[in-house]
Amino acid sequence: MILSLLPLIKKRGLLVAMLTVVLGSTLMVSAPSVNAQELTEASLRLKWLPQAQFAGYYYAHAKGYYREEGIDLTLNPGGPNLVAENLVASGADTFGISGGSDSLLAAVDKGMPLVSVGVSHQITPFVFVSRKDGPVKTLQDFKGKKAMVWFTGGNYVLFGMLNNAGIDRSELTILPQQSSVTPFINGDVDVIAAMSFNELYTIKQQIGEDKLRLFKSEDFGMTFPRDTLIVTKKTAQEKPELVKAFLRASIRGWHDAMANPKEAIDLVMQAAPTLNREHQEFMMQESYRLMTAGKAKTEGIYWIDEASLKSAHDFLLKNKVLSKPVPIATAFDGSFLKSIPIELRNP
Amino acid sequence: MNVARDLLKHLCEALLRGALTVLTMAVVWELVVRVGGVPSYYLPSLVDVLAAVTVAPGAYVDSALRTIAETVLGFAGGAVFGVLIGVAFFQWKALRDYLFPMFVISQTIPVIAFGAVVVLWFGNTLWAKAVIAFYMTFFPVTVNTLQGLNAVDPRQVALLRSFGANAWQLLTRLRLPAALPQIFVALKLGATLSLLGAIAGEWFGDSVGVGVLLLHAMYNEQIPALWAAIFLAGAIGTLLYAVMSYIETRFVFWRDEL
Amino acid sequence: MDMYTCDSMPSSRSEGSARSKLLSLAGMSKSYSPTVCALNGLDLSIEPGEFITVVGPSGCGKSTLFNIVAGLEEPDAGSEIRFLNKPVNKASELLGQVSFMPQRDLLLPWRTVIDNAILAIELEGKRRADARRIALDMLPEFGLAGFENQYPNQLSGGMRQRVALMRTFLFGRDLMLLDEPFGALDALTRTMMQRWLLDVWQKHRRTIMFITHDVEEALFLGDRVLVMTARPGRIKLELPVTLDRPREPDIVTSPEFIRLKRELLIAIEEESRKSFAPTPSAGH
Repeated sequence: MILSLLPLIKKRGLLVAMLTVVLGSTLMVSAPSVNAQELTEASLRLKWLPQAQFAGYYYAHAKGYYREEGIDLTLNPGGPNLVAENLVASGADTFGISGGSDSLLAAVDKGMPLVSVGVSHQITPFVFVSRKDGPVKTLQDFKGKKAMVWFTGGNYVLFGMLNNAGIDRSELTILPQQSSVTPFINGDVDVIAAMSFNELYTIKQQIGEDKLRLFKSEDFGMTFPRDTLIVTKKTAQEKPELVKAFLRASIRGWHDAMANPKEAIDLVMQAAPTLNREHQEFMMQESYRLMTAGKAKTEGIYWIDEASLKSAHDFLLKNKVLSKPVPIATAFDGSFLKSIPIELRNP
Repeated sequence: MNVARDLLKHLCEALLRGALTVLTMAVVWELVVRVGGVPSYYLPSLVDVLAAVTVAPGAYVDSALRTIAETVLGFAGGAVFGVLIGVAFFQWKALRDYLFPMFVISQTIPVIAFGAVVVLWFGNTLWAKAVIAFYMTFFPVTVNTLQGLNAVDPRQVALLRSFGANAWQLLTRLRLPAALPQIFVALKLGATLSLLGAIAGEWFGDSVGVGVLLLHAMYNEQIPALWAAIFLAGAIGTLLYAVMSYIETRFVFWRDEL
Repeated sequence: MDMYTCDSMPSSRSEGSARSKLLSLAGMSKSYSPTVCALNGLDLSIEPGEFITVVGPSGCGKSTLFNIVAGLEEPDAGSEIRFLNKPVNKASELLGQVSFMPQRDLLLPWRTVIDNAILAIELEGKRRADARRIALDMLPEFGLAGFENQYPNQLSGGMRQRVALMRTFLFGRDLMLLDEPFGALDALTRTMMQRWLLDVWQKHRRTIMFITHDVEEALFLGDRVLVMTARPGRIKLELPVTLDRPREPDIVTSPEFIRLKRELLIAIEEESRKSFAPTPSAGH
């Protein structure tokens, strides 16, 4: 019980502290804490549950990089019922890692006052998987088969791939994907979407890497940069230094996490002790690969690549996910990133 | 402390009785998995489930304590509020006519929708979960309190009135004690519901708690860990129910009379 | 409240007696709806220290009469109540003024014997410890010594009834209303309880109004037996019980007892037949 009471005790401690401050200030003897004055309170809402996908943030947080930049940062995990766009737009969180270019553009289209200040995954972070010994050998083989994909954005990537290959999407059965890849492992579906750092790992463990065939959207002319770093337009305008400081600390966190992978995974697993270590190690490497893919190789991590964003935008507009064109420049702002020297940003 | 010893004895007896059932079920489970060849993602071996706990036992202990704290806080608040509102509704019919429909509507909001709002209000705090646990508890307690107060034998009311009892005395000496069995039905239900509320609350971006364990296991397809979290939730639920049942036997020892 | 009135019946008020009355009712009526009239023009007076028993056919309004005297129901307009020689404007003024004991013992199951017994005086505002001390001294007299910490569900029917009686006695009011207190007891227990009640009454000298179905009980206990008419209820017969006290159990075989019993039975028989008549005589 003692552990569980800690928050209560802290709460009481806070009350006592507040009382002391009030009493102290009336007596003119209070000496305000130096830290409290200098640090800006902020929070980062992750896109998903704590895992190595966010290793850089956990590393920077634990190592005090945010504090060094003057930020008292709280790391808030995401989850299946949370939408980072909503939490940031409502002011509940300062920073957020949103679903991706698709969900951010849709949110801006709906009038949410959000702007992305960096893009984590430069390429589509998921692939479509079939069995090597199964009937699906090429994209054309998708016809007449059962494919499973998340209807939270992943479906547009599949639609785009099919579209570019001249396949009518009504020619196959597309099922909404839930949390589990069991339907694929059981052979109930022929194709399934898999995050390259997450589901793909599970499928490889269950079936064997050499028995799988992967379809990458980039090979079929589609790319969806994802895991966009977002703030409100208000934060971007009024606290540019905070945004820059956050970016600097996060970039440093990622670089150092990759340099000390064991320690980085330890820190992630402190937040979520029940995770599988090997899986997390794989996830961190894979996440970093996605972060340093494409233009980021030369322009540094979090690079905002207008060309790929524009192609994603055009596709979403054509498929009526967006009601009107959204200028890339209003939804993405690379100025904060560019203020950081390139040598710090480069992988 | 006599009461503490009694509670311990009560719990021990319940545990012993339960242990036998659990042991039998465990043997059957293990047989089905091993002999029946059930794939581990349908039903993992209990040995694997235990192994999942031993990987990070601290996480299970911390999560259990955290979830219990949230549940107990929310439950206690919901119980007190529920009884007070039940009494208020009973005493002032107008209040009931105006507010009760709102209470009913509040309960039609799915806890998942409500949870998102609560997280916006309270952030990832223990209080946010306590509020959801509270939300799950207060309504059944209000309804049963009201029902219990209304169900009091009118002849007993007449008797106390003939002795010159005022409204407050009628409430404290007769109506509330007479409503206790009904209230306890709701409290036992509420203990389970508030745990459910706390767990659901933890699905909105928390980092510690049984709900978090469930989420992690579910989305990382760690089936043994999922079962470990389910068992943990079940154990907490059983514990809370047992404590409420014990308190009930202490307070409503005369129930067989009604 | 008093929307309905019974067709008025002539009141046979006997204002003559100069002796002070504890309670007097005149022209007492009570109707629940235009067709349901429980009491109609009932007159009644009780002297201090008297033991009055009330008998009558089922549904004759005996309980309505008690509820009004206990202050729980209001009679129709025009009914007159005097209590302790003072006019009572509303029956509810009588709440807390008389010791009322309903048919069932209505003990509170969560209270011990002693705490059930002190319920009324506790509601009056007496401190619980003081109340308990008084009640503890009284327990042997009510045959409850040693049972003070038992709960009602551990007691026999007769004991429960004695706890209820003790509760009524402890509530030290001048008038006690006992509504068929022994109705649910077996014959043997009932006889024991009747004799015991007479002992207690003679010692404490309280005024008792006692409802019963049992003609022998009414005669054995009462100074005066009132026979009520079928609904709507009024007093049909006032029979003074000319039997000496203290009364022994064998008194029921005496010629005088049998004579009185016959007189009562004839009166009740007449009224019972009325209440079984095909058309209800509910004042219309």
